[in-house]
Amino acid sequence: MSTTVDFTELSAKHTGEASKRRLRARYWAEMRLKAYGIIAIAIAAAALLLLLSTVVTKTAGVIYEKYITLEATIEVSDRDRERLADQNPRMRANLRRVVQGAIATAIPGEIGRRESRQATSIVSGDAGLFLGDRVKADLNLIGQTVPFDALLDDNMQLYLKGVVGRPEEIESAGTLSISVPDEDGFVTASFDPSDLGPIFEAIREQRANDAERARAEQRRQQNAVDVTERQLLEAETDEERAELQSRLDSFVFARDRAETNADELMRLATVIGEGARYTLAETDPSLLMRAGPGWLKFTEVERGEAKGLIYLPLSDTAPVGTEFAEGEWQAFMMERPEATRLQTDRQVVWMENFEDRGLIKEVLNTRILSSSDSASAELAGIWGAVVGSFWTMIVTFLLAFPLGVMASIYLEEFAPKNRVTDLIEVNINNLAAVPSIVFGLLGLAIFVSGVPVNILGYEFTIGGFLPRSSPLAGGAVLALMTLPTIIIAGRASIRAVPSSIRDAALGLGASKLQTATHHVLPLAMPGILTGSIIGMAQALGETAPLLLVGMNSFIQEPPSDPLSPGNVLPTLIYQWNSNSERLFDDKTAAAISILLIFLVLMNALAVLLRKRFERRW
Amino acid sequence: MTETANIRAEIGEDQRGVPSGEPAVGVAESEAPTTAGEIKIRCKGVDVFYGEAQAIKDVTIDIEDKAVTAFIGPSGCGKSTFLRCLNRMNDTIDICRVTGEITLDGGDIYDDDVDPVQLRARVGMVFQKPNPFPKSIYENVAYGPKIHGLASTKAELDCIVEQSLKRAALWGEVKDRLDAPGTGLSGGQQQRLCIARAIATAPEVLLMDEPCSALDPIATAQVEELIDELRRSYSLVIVTHSMQQAARVSQKTAFFHLGLMLEYDDTVKIFTAPSHEKTQQYITGRFG
Amino acid sequence: MLPYVLLVVALMSCAAFAMCRQRAVAAADGALSTLHSRPFYHGLYGFLWVAIAGFGAFILVNIIGTSIMNSVIAGQIAELAPELRPIEQSLVFSDAVKIASGGLASTTDELREAIAESYASTNTTRVIVVALAGLAAASSTFYLIFNQVGREFRARNRAERILRTVLWTAAGIAILTTIGIVLSLIGETIIFFQRIGWNVDAFLFGTTWAPLSGVQAGSLDPAKVGAIPLFVGTLMITIIAMCVAVPVGLFAAIYLSDFASKRTRAWAKPLLEVLAGIPTVVYGYFAVITVAPALRDFGASIGLTIASESALAAGVVMGIMIIPFISSLSDDVINAVPQSLRDGSYGLGATKAETIRKVILPAALPGIVSAVLLGTSRAIGETMIVVMAAGQGANMTLNPLDAVTTVTVQIVMLITGDTEADTAAAPAFTLGFTLFCVTLVLNVVALRVVRRYREMYD
Repeated sequence: MSTTVDFTELSAKHTGEASKRRLRARYWAEMRLKAYGIIAIAIAAAALLLLLSTVVTKTAGVIYEKYITLEATIEVSDRDRERLADQNPRMRANLRRVVQGAIATAIPGEIGRRESRQATSIVSGDAGLFLGDRVKADLNLIGQTVPFDALLDDNMQLYLKGVVGRPEEIESAGTLSISVPDEDGFVTASFDPSDLGPIFEAIREQRANDAERARAEQRRQQNAVDVTERQLLEAETDEERAELQSRLDSFVFARDRAETNADELMRLATVIGEGARYTLAETDPSLLMRAGPGWLKFTEVERGEAKGLIYLPLSDTAPVGTEFAEGEWQAFMMERPEATRLQTDRQVVWMENFEDRGLIKEVLNTRILSSSDSASAELAGIWGAVVGSFWTMIVTFLLAFPLGVMASIYLEEFAPKNRVTDLIEVNINNLAAVPSIVFGLLGLAIFVSGVPVNILGYEFTIGGFLPRSSPLAGGAVLALMTLPTIIIAGRASIRAVPSSIRDAALGLGASKLQTATHHVLPLAMPGILTGSIIGMAQALGETAPLLLVGMNSFIQEPPSDPLSPGNVLPTLIYQWNSNSERLFDDKTAAAISILLIFLVLMNALAVLLRKRFERRW
Repeated sequence: MTETANIRAEIGEDQRGVPSGEPAVGVAESEAPTTAGEIKIRCKGVDVFYGEAQAIKDVTIDIEDKAVTAFIGPSGCGKSTFLRCLNRMNDTIDICRVTGEITLDGGDIYDDDVDPVQLRARVGMVFQKPNPFPKSIYENVAYGPKIHGLASTKAELDCIVEQSLKRAALWGEVKDRLDAPGTGLSGGQQQRLCIARAIATAPEVLLMDEPCSALDPIATAQVEELIDELRRSYSLVIVTHSMQQAARVSQKTAFFHLGLMLEYDDTVKIFTAPSHEKTQQYITGRFG
Repeated sequence: MLPYVLLVVALMSCAAFAMCRQRAVAAADGALSTLHSRPFYHGLYGFLWVAIAGFGAFILVNIIGTSIMNSVIAGQIAELAPELRPIEQSLVFSDAVKIASGGLASTTDELREAIAESYASTNTTRVIVVALAGLAAASSTFYLIFNQVGREFRARNRAERILRTVLWTAAGIAILTTIGIVLSLIGETIIFFQRIGWNVDAFLFGTTWAPLSGVQAGSLDPAKVGAIPLFVGTLMITIIAMCVAVPVGLFAAIYLSDFASKRTRAWAKPLLEVLAGIPTVVYGYFAVITVAPALRDFGASIGLTIASESALAAGVVMGIMIIPFISSLSDDVINAVPQSLRDGSYGLGATKAETIRKVILPAALPGIVSAVLLGTSRAIGETMIVVMAAGQGANMTLNPLDAVTTVTVQIVMLITGDTEADTAAAPAFTLGFTLFCVTLVLNVVALRVVRRYREMYD
């Protein structure tokens, strides 16, 4: 540090050119930091938006449910008649056969024995029960022919919503002529050879893509073969060589299989591309044709000709060998192959027919709110879980709130400053950060199962006094979890009450307890309530600990009291989400929407309370 | 000479709790002729608003180079607010709005071309409460030179740090523990560290916002001595609550009251023959 | 019957309040000021004692009675059918209980009928004993307290002492909870280690996790209880989550505290709070329905195979969940950096960015570190997102595109799975204990750091 600097020179630097350049760089750095901040907020906002839009769009899918209007004569068996006449509303009659008959009537033409199952399964499994309920309400209906609405099966509802796609029309012109069916029922349709180009193209493309994928696999395996061959050359011990050889063999096998596969697929693609005769597999798109009032499904196609089955009669009068002029027929393609969806082509054709005839009806879905869980997606609702959540929250509140308030009063107003108090304080802060699943384990061990203890050779169990799956057990666990939140909020708002109020009360001769309960607590109450509501909102969304105490059971009846088994909204969401039926995805979103609405309401209440009673000392 | 001595005596009597034996850097002892400095900062018709409220009303003042100018006045009179206008520190407060003209060496500092960051490098500031950064003493002083790129080598930076600490009369106390945290120093040392930190940035003007109000009398004396020393190289503006301090260290004094600058003159004049009645009342301790 | 007993005890407490109060008024003989305590406190004192004695005796005798009854019945089952395995014996027990209470049992046979009969009679005895104990305790206390009421009786002080004790007990629940957690976890953990012959290394460093495959009653295969795959999976998902949450949360906090205008803050802060208020099960759904398929499709488009239950999807969504956590804690600590430091930096001609990077962040660093630690602890303990979006198979991989499993997932799988509780509980509770210890250490360190930080600037 021998050199000296001239501060006047340094000062001059502030106005120099170099300083200006430097300044630009410094501002550029500032812009960058600011941009990072904006990007960060944008990411958070985008995530929230994406999440909410996922929930909302999925929920929109179950706002309406679809019915089919059927008509049937109500004929009941003696056993059903008895049940219908019974005054007990729990005695329900399942008029399954009436519904089945009505469906058979609704579908034009004959239904083979093989198809009758497909026909039955277009309506919900409980459609017969619902019809039974209606008849039970009005016994005069027995023997009459009445129209009634039957709830559609979840797969049919999904189909009508277009979840698996709808048949797309392929451009077609000219005359279509259909041959007389052979003994297996197959007919041959002839049309202008330029038609049906798109379906050939679609199938070819699919095959070509499959072939491409097989080629890629082949290349990967080839690569593995090359690498292993090189390693084999460098291998030193016999053992290594043997190991590598066996690996090489398996790679070679895989490569060859991929190659054969790719070749076959390429061949198919070429055949289809050339318009040669091709048998449609279940994994190909379906080719359907509407001709007049009827529907056909093709199984073999070539340019200008196709062979297939009549799914719905082409005409009421002329059963065979019909010709259709241009405009009287359309060809359709169902892009998604039959094998990858739960709706058969026959059902697709039926649903199209029903819709054309105006038999499909859309009704606001109140079932999701009013019914409880069910194994069938179209029947499942959240009511049972809402009731379960209600009981659980009641238990949580009744346990956590008084305890929380008492603990915060003690800690703020009475606790001496000593190690025990310190320990309690550290404990509460730690408990607030303990993972919720640990509380679940605690609840499972102490409340539900009981902890076996062996003292002086006498074995007994501590705890285990609450029934598994009950809102009481769940609520007790959540109460322990919520307690730290309430205590922390409670202490903060008690601390915010100025000591002048305490001094005033104590000065008038009130005891410490009187001061706390008569003066401090009322003033701190809005704050404590706000904190408690926020804690309760957290508890309402809590899932993991409740899974462990068994509140994820399949509950078809809402719990009548806190001791009977139940589940809650979050566990229902979890259960539905793990269900593979597609409609449950949408119903899960609906359940989430309801849960979020409850949470928003609770938080709004907390904000309102805070605003209404906010006081600055 | 006798006249000024009398003033000192008067002021000394006025002091509450400050021993008269303290190192007095009296007005009369300042050797530099008070009118000799060139004008460094010119302010014309400056108004400051906080939202709707007007904090400074039409202040016009010329601040000299190589001299200490003191702003005095009762609490809330706007002297600190006005001081913060001189290096555009008020820009950091969203609702604050400044109108009027302030020029530094003839250039308008509120001109769009002028960058507040660059301006603050030229017009340094020391605050009421010592606010060393939670870094080492060395890093505290080197902060300004580093961000402004004043030193091209480590040796140069070391040199700037050393000289700044020396000028802030702190070098002797800290030279062996430059790596110790700046927050570990005593209050007076911390304030001198903050002054060193401001000096290291090589400003032309140094603004001090009640630099001694958080210090004990001994530390205050040290800082005052330092201010007098710094006068040789900088134009200093100091806001102070203590009239004795203003009298001791400044050559020019401005009296602020309710957002207005009521009087601005040589310090001697202000303390002996104030022209404004309010000034008279304030310096005689009738309010404030 | 027992609920009615509780009701009667409650009524007796209220009666005690009214009668003691009345007696105090009578004792004052018109001059209330001659009483040491106001009549209300005499009533309160009576109420508290009767309620405490009545309910206390009820609960105590009930718990003791139930456990005695259970061991008696279990003993009878063991005596009558010694050939049954313990799990079958407990099944017989629960069936017998159902038969006795008129419910449907899984099967009915002679043994069950016999046990049911004996259960019913023992249970009746228990109910009678409990009811008598509760009522006797309540009424005798009532009598004692009622006779104490008098002019000189310091009812207020005594009642307040009781209430203080009640308050103290409420505060003590926090400690009880912690003790409960440790107790409930440690018992099964000891059983678990006993079953693997105290081979702690096998658990901590083993690489194969399949605790339920090929278990014999009362023993576990030490070669199959290696938790490393779970630790690796947990760590990987946590790291991914923190890689998302820390930069986004921190930059958002910096922007909101030092750059954003009031208007931006007015919508951005609630936005982050909303993100914090969304239940984790909803995040799990989001991961499964939106994020995982999107990642898989994106991967497919650039030639990467991403498992539909990938660590990446779970980690990213968990990161989103933790963003508000990091940002609000960081916002707190950044705002706690005193304005004077900012002024000092601006006064030297530093830009905002320089002030933030060189002054504010270093000053706030301890707080930010503790925020990150708390966030990590939360990520490690998070359950629903990983249960729904990460895998269940304990495969050992470092590839974030593969399915991995975590400690929490395995706990849920073990407890909610089909395996009988006796076998599955030991490994599950051991994992829970490990989780508790790790998060406890993180929390304690973080809370300590943040406390020290607060003290620094207070």
